Amino acid sequence: MTNAERSAAAEPILELRDLGVTFTTETGEVPAVRGVTLQVRPGETLALVGESGSGKSTVALASIGLLPGNARATGGASVDGEDVVGATESDLARLRGSTVSMVFQEPATALDPLTRVGAQIAEVITNHRDVPAKEAAAAAVDLLRRVGIPDPERRASAFPFELSGGQRQRVVIAMAIANDPKVLIADEPTTALDVTVQAEILDLLRDLTVGSGTAVLLVTHNMGVVADFADRVAVMLKGEIVETGTVEDVLLRPTHDYTKRLLAAVPRLTVAEQGSERAGVQESPAPPEPVVDLRDVSVLFGRGSRAVRALDGVSLVVRPGETVGLVGESGSGKSTAARVALGLITPSEGAVHLFGADLHKTRRRDRRAMRSGIGVVLQDPVASLDARMTVAECIAEPLRVHRGRMSARERASRVGEILERVRLPRSFAQRAPRELSGGQRQRVSLARALVLDPRLLVADEPTSALDVSVQETVLEVITELQDELGFACLFVSHDLAVVQQFAERVVVMRLGRIEEQGSTRTTLMHPETDYTSRLLAAVPVADPVRQRQRRAQRLAAAAGGSDAVA
Amino acid sequence: MTTFLYLTRRVLQAIVVIFIVTIVVFCLLHALPGGPARGILGPQASAQQLAAFNHDQGLDKPLPLQYVYYLGRLVHGDLGTSYTLNEPVAQLIVQRLPKTLVLTVLSAIVGLLLAIPLGMWQAVRRNKPVDYVATTLSFIAYSTPVYFLGLILVLVFSQLLPLFPPQAPQGDTLGQVFATPQGLVLPVVAGAASMVAVFSRYMRAATLENLSEDYVRTARAGGSRARSLLWRHVFRNSLTSVVAMLGYYVPVVFGGSLVVEQLFNYPGMGLLFWSAAQSSDYPVLLGCVLVIALATVVGTLLADIVQRIIDPRVKEGRS
Repeated sequence: MTNAERSAAAEPILELRDLGVTFTTETGEVPAVRGVTLQVRPGETLALVGESGSGKSTVALASIGLLPGNARATGGASVDGEDVVGATESDLARLRGSTVSMVFQEPATALDPLTRVGAQIAEVITNHRDVPAKEAAAAAVDLLRRVGIPDPERRASAFPFELSGGQRQRVVIAMAIANDPKVLIADEPTTALDVTVQAEILDLLRDLTVGSGTAVLLVTHNMGVVADFADRVAVMLKGEIVETGTVEDVLLRPTHDYTKRLLAAVPRLTVAEQGSERAGVQESPAPPEPVVDLRDVSVLFGRGSRAVRALDGVSLVVRPGETVGLVGESGSGKSTAARVALGLITPSEGAVHLFGADLHKTRRRDRRAMRSGIGVVLQDPVASLDARMTVAECIAEPLRVHRGRMSARERASRVGEILERVRLPRSFAQRAPRELSGGQRQRVSLARALVLDPRLLVADEPTSALDVSVQETVLEVITELQDELGFACLFVSHDLAVVQQFAERVVVMRLGRIEEQGSTRTTLMHPETDYTSRLLAAVPVADPVRQRQRRAQRLAAAAGGSDAVA
Repeated sequence: MTTFLYLTRRVLQAIVVIFIVTIVVFCLLHALPGGPARGILGPQASAQQLAAFNHDQGLDKPLPLQYVYYLGRLVHGDLGTSYTLNEPVAQLIVQRLPKTLVLTVLSAIVGLLLAIPLGMWQAVRRNKPVDYVATTLSFIAYSTPVYFLGLILVLVFSQLLPLFPPQAPQGDTLGQVFATPQGLVLPVVAGAASMVAVFSRYMRAATLENLSEDYVRTARAGGSRARSLLWRHVFRNSLTSVVAMLGYYVPVVFGGSLVVEQLFNYPGMGLLFWSAAQSSDYPVLLGCVLVIALATVVGTLLADIVQRIIDPRVKEGRS
């Protein structure tokens, strides 16, 4: 009997009936969730998916009674037969951490920075069980061992800042399972983590819940994670559930239009031999002179024995008109490499050539001219636009700096022109960035980057803060403009699927070094290095059947690997 | 980094800062109208008298050399002689500093003991009547000049209701001061009022910020109740920013004691500074400035050390 079959027989342990949540804000009552009805049975994982603002996290918080003070819940929500919506704070405190518990998105901030991790886990134990402090501390060490923290006796007395992001998330999970809860709510538990760490955390969650019959409510925007982990899926749109079904039905045979659109926008990682979406650039015998040329670049941060080698002998080129994807996990040095190319970081060793000239040997005035040939788009669409400027002022700023002689009228017409290019109406010029959505802001950033007709666009994770459907439009706009204007693009991303769709060549980085580079098709389909293979294997694909095979293969490979070591 | 290394480095930094303060004080001493000679001998002194004085005191030597002499005297505890009291400045300060310390430290302790719980309570009861009342009282206390507050305290608690003496305990030694502790009540309250006002605001803001942090939600998700959340997690996390402010608050407290001592006729540093300022007794003024600068440097150093004890991240330099 499969998991899903077994749980279908049991009574639901988490039950939401016509749940509604309304936020009271300065502008009035805002309904965030309407008429949500769903059940999760013991041993079952239900994934709640949707884009930002769909209300999926609000449903999760309502299920454990952790809604913020300005939220009001209506309808019913019960855990193990106990009502959550109308419960007193004291009743909720009794339920939380024992019957129902939660794993959060951001492991960096989810733990008290001043309390040792062992003590934080022990607190959850003593909240619900009358055990001596010593016993609770010992239990905390056992829990750390269960969640795969090496050397748990010593680690229990560590402070959160002394642990990596993945380890912190393991601690949060240890707190969540400390009292063997019947329901585990996981709100984007792997979103802030690297793919290889994500795979480990998902494995851990599966190991902890499947055997014990714990019901899981998994909130995520990542269809690959859904395919990897969920038995059933509920799709949310604007506060309502639009489709519910088994993971196979929803991901492979979606019925609702929105689900179809959402799935179509998910970038797919092609792993087997299939037709390529985009023709790879053939290495011509005499390639054109590169626009960026990093030669054996090393970057050291800090001094003396405490120095960190952020880049170590990195050589890469971007040729006119091509897109090079720079991929790697956090700490791999990919953003540092992009900053070196921009001239924002002076390398400790090696040379940087921009448009054929050595960046650090040119005079200041020439360097200014070189800078005007590069446009930049950064990750955060909120922080990268000055909130006190209008859209027009943001876009016109490079013109003021580099085209001082341009008249105000010429500038205004150029701004209007470039706004249309990025598919925004000219009327947006007078708006403030805060009035725009994330995707629109990112297109304003793109307009600003392209207003000087650059020869090179450096895009550092330009879409990773965006929903998939918005990501798709932004990437489309970049591709279209690249075809029209012919700029080269250095595209930094952690998302291998996006890079595979978007870039002709790819550079894989790890710990400040280049692991391998080559055309995207060959490198990502037939990787030469073990690291790239592992990176690719860790990416969950949005197809539950294939993802099951991939997971089995990955685990077998990992087991084989560890056997070989042992 | 080991604690020893850290301490050594911070103490060295403090010494550098004190050096810079001595340079500033030295320059101020020499910027006096007519120089120290005119200050000591008075406006009637003749040119010869001035020249003779300057020669005797080594004031005709080059400035850098004079600075070295000045430093040398400082090291031996010689801060010069008061123009009006005809006593060594160092001796005047040594007599009065302990009394001022008693007053300021007591005010600070009383102020913080009230301010920290008050700030936390306000944060928990945010936008409720008690928060509004406490906020209003804080603003009133903060905007009331200390001398005015002191007068009101004397009027109400000494004249209207004869509970406390209107004057601080007199006497030259700490023993004599503590012999009549009820005399300290009004000066300490006057000094503590603005501390309560300022630090309850800091504590309220810090607590509010921490209450909205993710880790509080995690603890709640683990079944922790409001009381344990507040005292186990939020309290310590909020304290760090308050402790950091304390060090910088030392000169403000000294400034407050200036007025309080004058008002309650308490023979401490503040009263010394006050009378020196009125009689243009520059060596005394500069000696006091040096002591206050020293106290500020020591205060920030202590605040940093306490910070380090509370927050393990400070050790790694990545707070």
